[in-house]
Amino acid sequence: MTASATDILPTDQSIGDVSSQLTGIPLHFPARRQWWIAMAVAIALLALFIVSVVELFTRGVGIWGLNVPVTWAFAIHNYVWWLGIGHAGTLISALLLLTGSEWRNSLNRFAETMTLFAVVCAGIYPVIHLGRPWYLYWMFPYPATMDVWPQFRSPLEWDIWAVLTYLSVSVLFWYTGLIPDLANARDRARRRGWQVFFGILALGWRGSTIHWHRWSRTYRIMAAIAVPLVVSVHSEISLLFAASQLPGWHSTLFPPYFVLGAAFSGFAVVSVIAVALRAMFDLKNLVTRKHLDVLGKVLLATGLMTGYGYVFEVVDALYSGNPHDLQTLLNRTTGAYAWLYWGAVFFNFVPLQLLWWRQVRRTGWALLLISVSVIIGMWLERYMILVTTLYRDFLVSSWSHYTPTFWDWSTYVGTIGLFLVPFLLAIRFIPVISIFETEKTLLDEQETRDG
Amino acid sequence: MTTLPKQWTSIEELAGDPAFAEKIAAEFPVAASFPPTARRDFLKIMAASFALAGLTGCEKSSFVAGIPYVDQPEAALPGVPRYYATAVTLDGYAQPVLATTYDGRPTKLDGLPGHPATQGRSDVFMQAAVLQLYDPDRAQSPTRTGEPVTWIDVGAMFSEQRREWRTDGGKRLRLLLSQTTSPTLIRQIKEFQSQFPAARLHVHDASGERERTAAAIAAYGQPLDLHYQLDACVVVVSFDDDFLGPGPRQLLNAIKWAQARRRGDVPDIHLHCAESIPAATGAVASHRLRASPSRMPRLMEALAAQLGVTGASATDLPAEERRWLMRAVAAINAAKCRALVTAGLGTGLEAARWAAQINEALGAPGRTLKLSQPIADPGIATASLDELVTDMNAGQVDTLVILNANPVYTAPGSLDFARALSKVKTSIHLGLYRDETGHRCTYQLPLTHDLESWSDARAVDGTATIIQPVMTPFYDVRSRHQLMAMMLGRDEAADLSVKTTWRETFGESFDARWTKALRDGFVAEGIPEIQAKPASGRIAPAASDADGADIVFRLDPTLWDGRYANLGWLQELPKPLSTLTWGNVIAVSPTWARDLDVENGDVLEVDIDGRKLSGPAWIMPGQADNTIGLWLGHGREQAGRVGNGVGYNAYSVRPAATPWLTKGFVRKRDRNDTLAVTQLHHRMEGFDLVREVSATSPTLPAPSPQPSLYPPKPSAKHAWGMVIDIDSCIGCNACVAACTAENNVAVVGKTQVEMGREMHWLRIARYYQGDVENPRSYFQPVPCMQCEDAPCETGCPVHATTHSPEGVNQMVYNRCIGTRTCSSFCPYKVRRFNYLDYRNTPEAPAEPAHNPDVTLRSRGVMEKCTYCTQRIQAAHVAADKDNRDLRDGDVVTACQAACPTHAIVFGDINDPNSEVSKLRRSGRHYALLEELGTRPRTTYLAKWNDGPDSEDHRT
Repeated sequence: MTASATDILPTDQSIGDVSSQLTGIPLHFPARRQWWIAMAVAIALLALFIVSVVELFTRGVGIWGLNVPVTWAFAIHNYVWWLGIGHAGTLISALLLLTGSEWRNSLNRFAETMTLFAVVCAGIYPVIHLGRPWYLYWMFPYPATMDVWPQFRSPLEWDIWAVLTYLSVSVLFWYTGLIPDLANARDRARRRGWQVFFGILALGWRGSTIHWHRWSRTYRIMAAIAVPLVVSVHSEISLLFAASQLPGWHSTLFPPYFVLGAAFSGFAVVSVIAVALRAMFDLKNLVTRKHLDVLGKVLLATGLMTGYGYVFEVVDALYSGNPHDLQTLLNRTTGAYAWLYWGAVFFNFVPLQLLWWRQVRRTGWALLLISVSVIIGMWLERYMILVTTLYRDFLVSSWSHYTPTFWDWSTYVGTIGLFLVPFLLAIRFIPVISIFETEKTLLDEQETRDG
Repeated sequence: MTTLPKQWTSIEELAGDPAFAEKIAAEFPVAASFPPTARRDFLKIMAASFALAGLTGCEKSSFVAGIPYVDQPEAALPGVPRYYATAVTLDGYAQPVLATTYDGRPTKLDGLPGHPATQGRSDVFMQAAVLQLYDPDRAQSPTRTGEPVTWIDVGAMFSEQRREWRTDGGKRLRLLLSQTTSPTLIRQIKEFQSQFPAARLHVHDASGERERTAAAIAAYGQPLDLHYQLDACVVVVSFDDDFLGPGPRQLLNAIKWAQARRRGDVPDIHLHCAESIPAATGAVASHRLRASPSRMPRLMEALAAQLGVTGASATDLPAEERRWLMRAVAAINAAKCRALVTAGLGTGLEAARWAAQINEALGAPGRTLKLSQPIADPGIATASLDELVTDMNAGQVDTLVILNANPVYTAPGSLDFARALSKVKTSIHLGLYRDETGHRCTYQLPLTHDLESWSDARAVDGTATIIQPVMTPFYDVRSRHQLMAMMLGRDEAADLSVKTTWRETFGESFDARWTKALRDGFVAEGIPEIQAKPASGRIAPAASDADGADIVFRLDPTLWDGRYANLGWLQELPKPLSTLTWGNVIAVSPTWARDLDVENGDVLEVDIDGRKLSGPAWIMPGQADNTIGLWLGHGREQAGRVGNGVGYNAYSVRPAATPWLTKGFVRKRDRNDTLAVTQLHHRMEGFDLVREVSATSPTLPAPSPQPSLYPPKPSAKHAWGMVIDIDSCIGCNACVAACTAENNVAVVGKTQVEMGREMHWLRIARYYQGDVENPRSYFQPVPCMQCEDAPCETGCPVHATTHSPEGVNQMVYNRCIGTRTCSSFCPYKVRRFNYLDYRNTPEAPAEPAHNPDVTLRSRGVMEKCTYCTQRIQAAHVAADKDNRDLRDGDVVTACQAACPTHAIVFGDINDPNSEVSKLRRSGRHYALLEELGTRPRTTYLAKWNDGPDSEDHRT
């Protein structure tokens, strides 16, 4: 086997160049104009979000299109969607770290960063969707004077813990992985402000062997904790639905179905960001076509697994012969919201099939478009799962409808701003690609080449 | 400034009080151009207006502030309710009630227990009457052309008027009354007639009482009241007569119907109903025929011919009609003298005559039909509204006194009463509201509400009730007897005239009998049955030269003739069968709709003799073809802030000569309206939500045992449960209205209902089965199932919904954070969520209309049926005080108390002898969605299928 076939990075670049290139992004920002344009859009969206939330808190969740029976819709649906997106970062980083897949090293930093802010976007929904959000703290087991505890049988209670645990582990994992690079940036900074900023964040990292030794152990342990969390958090989210008895929700299929769907949507967002950053910061030497190829394969694989979930949802209903399950299946595929179902099927799986071709996987814009289609498809899927079950459940007399209002949309679109603003700040101020890990990969490859 | 102000500076501004508006205009000229407040805020306005009653300085306002007693009356304990037996009226008939009052404020009306006619049961109008008492849009003081005057001015006006009337004996004076049964009012009217013998009396009622009398005269040659003895019947054949539908007779008929239906192990009464516009009677009928109203006389003649009535000639009938008729004939022949034939108002005089003759041939009078002298307006010679309008237009009327009627709104559009009224020199309107008529009259004199009045009235069976006030009037108003006395030249205390009347009846023992009558709530004296033979011969069929569709007018099932239009409770009460709220529709048949490509909500234009109206279409399954249904009672202009401009006004096209059935044309217009319906889907989709049994298979299969991983929960001494008999339910909504009143259920308005956010804790699910042209209809009341293994309880993360030891699934409002998981998880979707703040504003002294024992729910809180937990607690306390155990019947839920057919039974399922336990052992007993293992405490009794398909019916 020749070295060039397995190498993911071009070996004809020096380690010093890579360091300068990557630390140079925050220190001498190359794409100010594009960044400001993106930031302006993001801030506008964030402002929309703030306005929506103020309106929401002032008037109540009635500004959304909810009713009885559809008591959950956009808020929960976007919560699941964002949280699903927030899976890829940790999954890529931690799982591939543990399995020693070195190609991850060019992608893990921004994937983790993306994860963090996606989880923040997700986490905001369970708070704002409450009828009385100011009593959120009742969901925590604090020593209340009346000895009232949360209700531990409730999937919502599990939810709070799952998401908070996931968020804290993700933050720690991301930060731990960032420390050596923060030190690198500190050392290359010329201006006093940058030196102090990175100096504090680097926690006195000097790169001694003992530092590396401890860091490496910590990082691997955190990864080992994070991987099961990725699986557990979305399994748990699925129980929000599966723990009910409603047709279309009450299924043992839901946990794996949700986890795979989450990984699917997460990898799609990672692919979008990879392609975008690669173009924006001219990182073609570090995020190579081989990276895109691998991403494409992962996307295809998780997509097919999600498709398996779709198939078995149908099989489940048909095999059970339960009239309510069959009715829900019928409502999904032919009812008022059939466009959601078929939209999800189309956007998730039809363009995806192009990824069977290597040339497509290695073409940035093609991968980007397919990924965007998957993101839309997964959004429709979450919408479909929620609304098509709720709008028509057991008793025909309570069958109803759901139409999102302006405020539903504005809150949702607003959270995209909530995601983009910190994400843009992050790529502005911290190295978007893990410097030391990329260098390590490069070094390993060069050593292999040099024999 | 053109936008609605977000802030308001004072309560008056919010409520749009005219006095305050003037002040605003003077002080802030810019603010005067604010648009009138949108109706979606009406609830808050209504509440603020409660407060206003105090702010504008009325004579007797009690709403100033909550000041505790300085010297507390001995018997009045704050927070402890007191009960008064009295009555409210509908179409002049007494609806006897037991009024619950807290600290002098009535909060809830229940049917008066022990009353011979109503037996403690309610209908929707009785339930809502208490809200009308507090309506801030009621007329609050006398006005002259809109300007407030004092009662002293009014007295002076009447003296002057009396001088004029005396000069010619009242020749140019007219009285326009609505129908009354009040002995006191009738006595006063007779006295008035003796004082002014030339004055003429006219009676106008939009609700058809006059046409009812006309039909009796046509049938029997004299004015009579027909009392259906449904409890004595085995077969009833109804020709477009919705005797189980809303109206003053609904209670009595429904009670007797249910009694007959429960006689024996298998239903012993069968209803054959020919019906044009689907209604309650057709929905519960075993054999229903869809027939246009103009067909009814022909059908009746065919029936008469089959039964050998002389003069009836057999006609050829289409196959469907003949099949139905022959089944009815067979049933009647089998039942012999225990059959009854009834004809509805719209079927006309010919049908009334046929009905009388058939009943006579069957030997019904004395058994299934009782006849009596008219209970309403006895002994008053009256003329019709048409004659009055003619005289008014001819300038022969100087003074018109309108007592408790609203003819400008309710008179048939062909009469154009408003134009005639403008030709009257002095018009005086006595009414609860300054309504359409009040606005056009010279004087508007506000009346007391029944609950503030001394008066009397008779129920439909003739039993008299002395109406006693349950509170002091809080507006500057007078009772109708006081005003009549004023016209008679006296100034009387409120109770004097009533006492005078009853002194004659009670004689020597007046004091004792008066007290007893007030305490009992009725005077035990029936109206004697009389014998009358039907007029012989036949009435020639009405010439049907006019073409076009049959246009049928119906009274609104929740607003009646429009008098209740300003009551949010009734506006938001889903109408039976259509579940429509906040508006009326033009009902068309499915075939007609298909032919003309009409969908629900498409605007149709109805044209009757050139008078036109537009309204949204409603495709009514089971409606006769070539028949259009219009509902009266909507489209009001001066009902008040809640009722103005809701729906179309069907009176505007109503012809005076044929007010219930006429001919007209309909065409589709290129618009559509939104309809606020609470149930969007009507087919059962093959699920066994409503189950049926039949005489051949009278029991349902026993449920399969439900294994559970969880140990059974230990039960407290009592375990509450409810059984609802679907067979008895007539879909009248009394339970829903009673629940609304009892549990402070919020009214949310049309937009919110359209979004699916109505707050009723109890819904009457309505299903159709079979052919859309003529389906079978089912009513299924769905309150909370109070599951023993409740999915909602596991969903809530904060323990806001928990299980009581007595098995009630409780909702802890103040613990609720509004995740709505409980509702998502609920398989029955009986929970209701406060998406917005549906309460009244805190500034409003909303207490008077609210049940103080039930918490008001704030925004963001879930709520649902509690089995009237406050009533359970009250029963516990009462039993504890007596140091005894709870007995069956100690706890009666509001819905159960209201139900006229006893379809709802509540009690302790741990007690094997309780009524509810016995019903749970019935072969018809089943639980809704049993297979889910939720183990509901609310369960059902299957409907009896005794229709034509009952033989091949499988459960």
